[in-house]
Amino acid sequence: MKKILTIFAIVWIAGINACLAAPNSRYISLAPSATEILFALGLDEEIVGVSSYCNYPQGIRNKESVGNFSNPNIEKIISLKPDYIFCTGLEQAPVVTELKTLKLNVYVSDPSNIKELFDSIREIGKITDRTHQAESLIKGMQEEIAETTNKIKSVPLDKRQKVFVEIWHDPLTTAGKGSFIDEVVSLSGGINIAHNTRRPYSIFSAEGVIKQNPDAIIILYMDKTNSYKLIKERLGWESVSAVKNNRVYNDINPDILLRPGPRVVTGIKEVQKRLYP
Amino acid sequence: MKKKIFILLILLFISIILGLVSGSVAIPFTKLLLKENQPILILRALRVLTALIAGSGLAVSGIVLQAILRNSLAEPYLLGTSSGAGLGAVIAIIIGISGIYLPLAAFIGAVASIIIVYTLAKQNHKLSEQSLILSGVIVSVALSAIIVFLVSISGNEALHGLTWWLWGSLQVYNLKLLALITLIVSLGIAMIYFFSQDMNAISIGEEEALHLGIDVESVKKILILITSLITASLVCICGVIGFVGLMIPHMMRLVVGPNHKVLIPVTCIAAAIFMVLCDVISRTIFPPLEIPIGVITAILGAPTFIVLLKRSQRAK
Amino acid sequence: MEALLKINNLSGGYHEKTIINDISLEIQSGDFTGIIGPNGSGKTTLLRLASRILKPKKGNIVFQGKDIASMRSKEFSKRVAFVQQDTLINFSFSVFEIVLLGRIPHLGRLDFETKEDIEIANSALRMTDTAKLKDKNINELSAGERQRVIIAKALAQEPVLLFLDEPTSHLDIAHQIQALDLLRKLNRANKLTIVMVLHDLNLASEYCNRVILFNEGRIFKEGTPHEVLTYQNIEAVYKTVVVVNNNPINSKPYVILVPKEK
Repeated sequence: MKKILTIFAIVWIAGINACLAAPNSRYISLAPSATEILFALGLDEEIVGVSSYCNYPQGIRNKESVGNFSNPNIEKIISLKPDYIFCTGLEQAPVVTELKTLKLNVYVSDPSNIKELFDSIREIGKITDRTHQAESLIKGMQEEIAETTNKIKSVPLDKRQKVFVEIWHDPLTTAGKGSFIDEVVSLSGGINIAHNTRRPYSIFSAEGVIKQNPDAIIILYMDKTNSYKLIKERLGWESVSAVKNNRVYNDINPDILLRPGPRVVTGIKEVQKRLYP
Repeated sequence: MKKKIFILLILLFISIILGLVSGSVAIPFTKLLLKENQPILILRALRVLTALIAGSGLAVSGIVLQAILRNSLAEPYLLGTSSGAGLGAVIAIIIGISGIYLPLAAFIGAVASIIIVYTLAKQNHKLSEQSLILSGVIVSVALSAIIVFLVSISGNEALHGLTWWLWGSLQVYNLKLLALITLIVSLGIAMIYFFSQDMNAISIGEEEALHLGIDVESVKKILILITSLITASLVCICGVIGFVGLMIPHMMRLVVGPNHKVLIPVTCIAAAIFMVLCDVISRTIFPPLEIPIGVITAILGAPTFIVLLKRSQRAK
Repeated sequence: MEALLKINNLSGGYHEKTIINDISLEIQSGDFTGIIGPNGSGKTTLLRLASRILKPKKGNIVFQGKDIASMRSKEFSKRVAFVQQDTLINFSFSVFEIVLLGRIPHLGRLDFETKEDIEIANSALRMTDTAKLKDKNINELSAGERQRVIIAKALAQEPVLLFLDEPTSHLDIAHQIQALDLLRKLNRANKLTIVMVLHDLNLASEYCNRVILFNEGRIFKEGTPHEVLTYQNIEAVYKTVVVVNNNPINSKPYVILVPKEK
């Protein structure tokens, strides 16, 4: 009898706590990265609206869409009565200003490196009252990253793989220091040949690629044709090591590399797998 | 006159050498011909060639439109080619087309918009300057709006495509495509030169030209067709490179006068020099970064033109 | 003697509108013909039909025995020139370059001007007393100077027939006389046949040996100035009161306008 009562009590208290902890919190996410973080923190019902770009995880499909990334429908957002809205910085700045003017709660996250990503997760955890989950998520990510970095620790610096990240082909765009992807590459053990450019995103010269002679090229746009063929056919690129050795990769989902979210650890692993097969 | 052309040719030669020697990667001249540097040399040679045909093609197209429309603000993209090409490219990117089909999509877009402009402008078998200009502007604005709309609802990839379209790029990798475009542009320029006399007459007035025995309507149609082809071909490999087609003809008119028999060859050379030099600057200013060519042509061109204009005003 | 220009039952106009109806007339070689008439009577339309700018709806025009519709463009322009009312030119051609353009009918597309062409252009400049303006920019000239340059360009075509559309309407009296004296000189010395549309009835009287009075798309009267410029004809066509006297200087008719308000 005592046992049943204890169990009953625990369940009852837990139930109340659960209800008190999340009394119909309503969150809207306008950024795919924020959506992934929210889900990773265990939220699902509470997410009442997402942008049309949010595509992970699968369950997202059933969520109400509030419009696209740069022009979400403000009326729709208001009608959903959110307690908090999660956005990213730059491109959504005008939207953020508008929402704030309407006295809505907005959280902006724009991490440009892993540390800032963790801070962001922590803050989102605080807002959504999931501090516990946030900490375990961060811890889990840190462990995975450490595990991944350890794998190539023994590789000496001069044997590290040089990588060129091609974000777009015309004009040739890449990512340098200050961009998320740059850190992903370094954590995976690679050396981003554009690391020393002063800007996170820039137009790179083809000559520069040839001179730096990367061991691998990672393509971050969807390409229906065989990526290797596309780059190989570029006049002047035949001498690049990555081209010669058929190490041009377009099979990594760009989302996991470009989105500052929980899947970035998978991203680091995937890059490493290709750099150090 | 002969002296001026000679000087220009020397400058052209120097610019080409400069184009091959400079770049984001510093290679001493003596080492340039080594086998190990061959890929870079090839890349630079391609760029210089693209700059040559893009410069001369755009400038000569500008001359033709300014003569036919008797309007000094006319430039090669007036008849809608730039927006059409941009729309074709952005749609292709959104659908997921790439490789050789991307320039093809841009070309089709450019040609389609010219056809629309032409059809809108034709009244009773005649093409009046006003209706051409008006239709060109309307179509350009409308298509640009569609481009911006499409970019705003699609992902980042379309946005990159927009950068290419807005500011241009002289890096072409496909040798066959480049050879084809070079052929089209060269033939086009030669044919336009053939009509120099007609353009001289038309530029003082359509009826005046008729009185001088020029078949104005046919000549206009042919010239519009040729410039449209030249511009569409260039836009589909280079994107939109502004300023060259508008200002270089003006600058050269200040130097050699409005006689097209002289203006056309001189402008070709001058525009080629200008484009190659702009390309060198775009590659060497912040290596290994590149500034888009359209930015450089705009920044360099405006002050140069002002200097020339002031000089000619003072000379009067 | 065969007429230089024969216009046979000509009807023509713009788009749906027919401005001139069933006109027939002949221009003899050496004529200095003036075409007069109220606005909208079809004077300029006739000129444009005769110079191939417009295509006739009915009838035809025969020049030196050949239908002008069947001639090739430059063939016609080698012998017939046209001087418009003042035109504004957007590009800074020099005066000499403008006059040299008059040689186009005689040059193939890829031909460069020969010494002969240059001499003809220079001679045209001398004839119009514009030689000293040779290197100036056409846009810097006064209206009178510009008009003479345009005439020089027409002369450089070496025409046998010259059409002029209101050549003196923008000129002051001194320049009017200057231009018309030049035309008279060319008509007499060089046997240049002239067909000129003009507003000023007295200038027509003074300079033209033949006058054609147009009204509502048809020829009202043609003949010598004495025959055409009578007060009956003028009042019938222009619907305004005039008195026609004898000009004491040249014994030609002189038209005096009579205002309604005194």
